[in-house]
Amino acid sequence: MAIINQATKELQVKIVYYGPAKCGKTTNLEQVHGNVQNVKEKGKLVSLATSSDRTLFFDFLPIEAMAIKGFKTKFQLYTVPGQVIYNTTRQLVLRGVDGIVFVADSQYDKMSENVESFTNLEENLKSQKLNLSDIPYVLQYNKRDLPNAAPVDYMEYVLNNRELQVPSFAASASKCDGVFETLNMITRLLLNKFINEGSRKTP
Amino acid sequence: MFSLPQLFGEDIEEFNSALDRLLSQTDALAAMIIDVGGFLITCRGENSAFDATTLAALAAASFSATQQMAITIGESTFNSVYQQGEKFSLLLQDVNGQCLLVVIFKADNSVGALKYCSTDTIERTKSQLGRAQERHPSQGLDLSSLNLADPSAVFKRKQE
Repeated sequence: MAIINQATKELQVKIVYYGPAKCGKTTNLEQVHGNVQNVKEKGKLVSLATSSDRTLFFDFLPIEAMAIKGFKTKFQLYTVPGQVIYNTTRQLVLRGVDGIVFVADSQYDKMSENVESFTNLEENLKSQKLNLSDIPYVLQYNKRDLPNAAPVDYMEYVLNNRELQVPSFAASASKCDGVFETLNMITRLLLNKFINEGSRKTP
Repeated sequence: MFSLPQLFGEDIEEFNSALDRLLSQTDALAAMIIDVGGFLITCRGENSAFDATTLAALAAASFSATQQMAITIGESTFNSVYQQGEKFSLLLQDVNGQCLLVVIFKADNSVGALKYCSTDTIERTKSQLGRAQERHPSQGLDLSSLNLADPSAVFKRKQE
């Protein structure tokens, strides 16, 4: 869970990009790393990947936003490996997660993989005694630029058809479209959560 | 789920004091307290020689992977991970299930001596975390004055 360090006035939060194999999770981080402009400090993008550039363990990007209410806000962005066989690894990366970006592949033939990955996310959270409804998350419908992309309404029906609908974004991560909108929304949801918890618990 | 309490100056001072003592006793290069989720809490020693934030994330992941290996072979836990290099070595030790002690030390130094000396560091860290937990069991951060209706984004994309 987030670290609040009153001594150094730091708030550290962990955001995990989750989704099926080859949906564009790593591309999201690469675009944030390459195109972000107003941050105080940007770390190195670390990728633990195979020789064919498939994520083996995770990608990691530390990034420090401008001070919020006097606090240095440090975001740690992670991706998980999407391939089905790496489930234990996904569970490890989810440890201590504060917010989730679920990246879905918009192509019709990837829909079952999207659903399977989303179900897997819920199961992996449960294995850590966490519930998706308690964690801020957003959906990103990636690869909108491909010709066989399903309509956004259809993606909404498949992935966002719950009692509580969450914010969703159409994106083409390879062109950086929708990448920052997604990141800013999960950031906003996370900060809102801290505000609500802070105002509830602070005497 | 257990999570770290808010940490105040007195907590960080006690962690730093425990780490400084360990460094002086063992001639280690640097020592850090990190959270199992990969957050860096504090780092002492020659931390300018490496990227502490990234090392914390990788160390936490490595430690978690090792715990899974322990479970796979029927052990309940491995409470430390030791990596020996040619110049420097790395020792990761569990503090209280939520935090880890990471020590970088010269490869020709004895890991046994380091483990012996770090027992006190771990105890002091664990005690201080306990005191912090009792002080504010689940207090969050009050950001209520933050205006989230403000449309300006926290992260901005470079203009083409």
